[in-house]
Amino acid sequence: MLTLNHFLILGAVLFCIGLYGAITKHNAIAVLMGIEIMLNAVNITMVGFSFFNHVNAPSQFGFGVTNLGTLLTGQIFAIFIITVAAAEAAVALAMVIAIYRKRDTVDVGEIDMMKW
Amino acid sequence: MALYENSWLILFAPLLSFAVIIFGTRVGDMLSRPRVEASTPHEPHHAVEAHDSHGEDHGGHGEDDDDDPKVPSLSAWAKISAYVSILIMAVACIYSWVLLISSMVPSSPLPTEGITVFSYTWLNVSPLSYTIAFHVDRLAIAMLVVVTTISLLVQFYSQGYMENSAGYARFYSYLSLFAFSMLVIVFAQNFLVMFVGWELVGLSSYLLIGFWINKRSKPEEQRPSPAEANLQAFIMNRIGDVGFILGIMILFVNTGTFEFSGIEQHITQYHTSPALLGVAMILIFCGAVGKSAQLPLHTWLPSAMEGPTPVSALIHAATMVAAGVYMVARTFPLFADASPVAFQVVAWIGALTAFFAATIALVQSDFKRVLAFSTISQLGYMFVGLGVAGSEYGVGPGMFHLFTHAFFKALLFLGAGSVLHGLHHAMHKEVQDMRLMGGLASKMPITAATWLIAVLAISGFPFFSGFYSKEEIIGLALEHHDIVIYLLTLVTAGLTAFYMLRAFIQAFGGKGGKFMGLWGGPYRGTGEVHESPWTMTIPLILLSIPAIFAGYWFGFYSYVNVTAEHVLNLNVGALLADPLTWLGVVVSLAGLGVAWGIYGRVELAKIHAVVESNAFLRTLHRILYNRYYVDTLYNWIAVYVVLGIANLAQAFDQYIVDGIVNGVARIITSAGSDVRHVETGRVQSYMIGFFGGVAVLAIVAIVLITTVGK
Amino acid sequence: MDLATLLFWIFAVILVVAALLVVGLRNIVHSALALVVVFAMAAGIYTLLNAEFIAIVQILIYVGAVTILILFALMLTRIAGLTRTNPTNRLWPIAAIICILVGGTIIYAVTTSSRAIQNTMTAAQAASQVPANINNVVRIGQLLYSPTSYSYVLPFEIASLVLLVAIVGAIIIGRED
Repeated sequence: MLTLNHFLILGAVLFCIGLYGAITKHNAIAVLMGIEIMLNAVNITMVGFSFFNHVNAPSQFGFGVTNLGTLLTGQIFAIFIITVAAAEAAVALAMVIAIYRKRDTVDVGEIDMMKW
Repeated sequence: MALYENSWLILFAPLLSFAVIIFGTRVGDMLSRPRVEASTPHEPHHAVEAHDSHGEDHGGHGEDDDDDPKVPSLSAWAKISAYVSILIMAVACIYSWVLLISSMVPSSPLPTEGITVFSYTWLNVSPLSYTIAFHVDRLAIAMLVVVTTISLLVQFYSQGYMENSAGYARFYSYLSLFAFSMLVIVFAQNFLVMFVGWELVGLSSYLLIGFWINKRSKPEEQRPSPAEANLQAFIMNRIGDVGFILGIMILFVNTGTFEFSGIEQHITQYHTSPALLGVAMILIFCGAVGKSAQLPLHTWLPSAMEGPTPVSALIHAATMVAAGVYMVARTFPLFADASPVAFQVVAWIGALTAFFAATIALVQSDFKRVLAFSTISQLGYMFVGLGVAGSEYGVGPGMFHLFTHAFFKALLFLGAGSVLHGLHHAMHKEVQDMRLMGGLASKMPITAATWLIAVLAISGFPFFSGFYSKEEIIGLALEHHDIVIYLLTLVTAGLTAFYMLRAFIQAFGGKGGKFMGLWGGPYRGTGEVHESPWTMTIPLILLSIPAIFAGYWFGFYSYVNVTAEHVLNLNVGALLADPLTWLGVVVSLAGLGVAWGIYGRVELAKIHAVVESNAFLRTLHRILYNRYYVDTLYNWIAVYVVLGIANLAQAFDQYIVDGIVNGVARIITSAGSDVRHVETGRVQSYMIGFFGGVAVLAIVAIVLITTVGK
Repeated sequence: MDLATLLFWIFAVILVVAALLVVGLRNIVHSALALVVVFAMAAGIYTLLNAEFIAIVQILIYVGAVTILILFALMLTRIAGLTRTNPTNRLWPIAAIICILVGGTIIYAVTTSSRAIQNTMTAAQAASQVPANINNVVRIGQLLYSPTSYSYVLPFEIASLVLLVAIVGAIIIGRED
């Protein structure tokens, strides 16, 4: 008796936990971990939609292919999210290391040069 | 007719003289003065340098070295200034006498309503048109004669009085400017031009009173400095002008024109409400109150005595102060059409002022101040004359008294100038206190004789000129059942006689003189007093003739009334037969007699002792001597009320207005300095704000969708 | 309760608890390890949703690469002598409230929205909708790479570019100079 709502609610809860982590943590890498949790929550939601609201799509186009087959749009989107998340984690951690080298701290509370 | 059409020459002649002096001869005079400080005391009397040099203190020659700067001798340029001015004024004077004589003839081509002699359209915005227009009619000619004659005599006199003065050329330029300004008023055909002339005479008066600009004030004698006096005169005139302008504007708004004839035509055609006209005319009269020094705007005239005496004679006796009377005479038909209250106001203010000023003049010890208050009092008479005349006599009585008064008052002032000139030479400092004079008749006989003639004229002594003009006014007051005005004017006549003879005896006579103290006697001052030079005595003699005989122009009333009303002439027979006339004469003679008896027989010091010992007399003397404390009241108002309001306004501006402006700025800057802490530079606090907004928006959206969507 | 539901609940509970541990543990390395658990349980959930490929990719990339990356970064940015390496901000109450609000609104919108797609379908019914002989990996491959039929080949190429840029960028940023 699993319904889509289960997965959506799970995704929402995870998103909020990840948001909490991103907002309240001092360590930059902890913030990143919060962001990773958020991305995972979104992924769960995507894949959930793809499974429950399955699209056996007849073609919308007036030409070419008449039947698109079964579309797994949510899963494709999830693949791309994972890809981009990996890239972003790499770049972000490189930046953290660079900041650590410069300022000897990874505390985001210390990086406030744009303040008044 | 060409004679009348060219009379604009009289108007512009003094202006030409002014221009010539200012741009020509005075420049020459200034350039011809020595540049270095001449420090040698050539003249025993006037050892002061020329120019604005505050040179060495030649102590021992009096404190007035800076007050009245003199030059050792007048340059040729300065003398030419005087000759130019006098010559031009003489031509104008002769022209105006010719006009007078030719217009008295019945076959004169001059129409009763006058002709326009000069007109320039200044602004033409249809349907309104403003012109600078001058016209001449018989009233104007009568006034012209007075103005030009006395101007000429005063200018001639000033040659002697202002001898060796450093500002000789400047003085004549101002006199010419004044003559021009006065003639603008006389020739004016509409209110606009008259107002221009009004202000111009105010300006000339300002310049002339303040002629000795560096002179100091003498607070112990209650005398302001000329710089303060001329400002007082100008400002008081201005206060009166507020009412004047308001009145003119009311008339303009209701009739659409400034012309005197145009306004009168409009009023008769459209039957303008008398109440409105009454208000307008009372406001216009305010201007006359200021210019002619009536109550309550009278305090500037005694202060105006700080100017040279020829100025006092010309401006503050005969001509400028009479401008108010002339203006009321010009607008007489408007007054007649207005509600009777207007005339009542004129008459009452005149009567009250006459009495008020006469009481003050009783105790003044400054020679010129007595004459100043006498002027105020006689001007009051003129306004009474205008106020009670009604339609049978029109402007006749008031203008007649102006006519005669001009001559004997000018004579009084010029005589006073002669006395002061002599005393200045004798005592080496400026002396105006009558307590330091006495017995001058034997030393200055011509001055004394002409002064006596003028005293008799002003007192209304039978068959002198003042008798005819004054008694007629007093009689008219009774005829029109204004009992209080009648009594006031009657008592004032007695007081006038008293204080004028008192002044005469204090200056020229004294106990022990001839004719029971009238002529000669002990001299209370120091030094040798001589009679004045011929340049000063000739005008005195010349003026004494009209002082006696000007009153015999019995056709004056019908001559001077130009508003086509049938006026009666002065009925001399009725005047002489009326017993009330002789009552007035008795009052005047009583005044003369009391003065003669007190001041001719008793020493001055003893009189003062008697007054001081009696408490009632002492307080009365104090009140009158301080001029009913009106001056102190005005001073108090100026300092506490006017300046108080000004300080209040300044405080309001500084604290409230600026406070609001600066306060707003301060609020914004403080808000900014508090709000800047929001920008922490930390991403996480920004994210809190971000997601907080998201949450709020989401809730709002949900609420709206669930409530509205249904 | 059938197997799928049971598995879901197990995975979900562990997932949420692990996420809370990621946020709440004081030592950051412990947090990183809890993160591994999060990723693993997410993979399990993908499997429940017939997305095997995604599950494997999740394990490979997230658990295998990203976690190691995070651990390396933790290692390189250690500040000696600190007991609490994962401190929490001063503003955590406000953050908690905001998170609960955001979560609450999402859940409310999802469950009670009349515009939401009808979510009453059960997993069993949903599973029957898929054509039977489709292999997930094959189908994803077709969708990603097919040149002729409907495919996502363009986003795929762009994703590869993104990865390239990320590599180069990470190298440059992380360089010692």
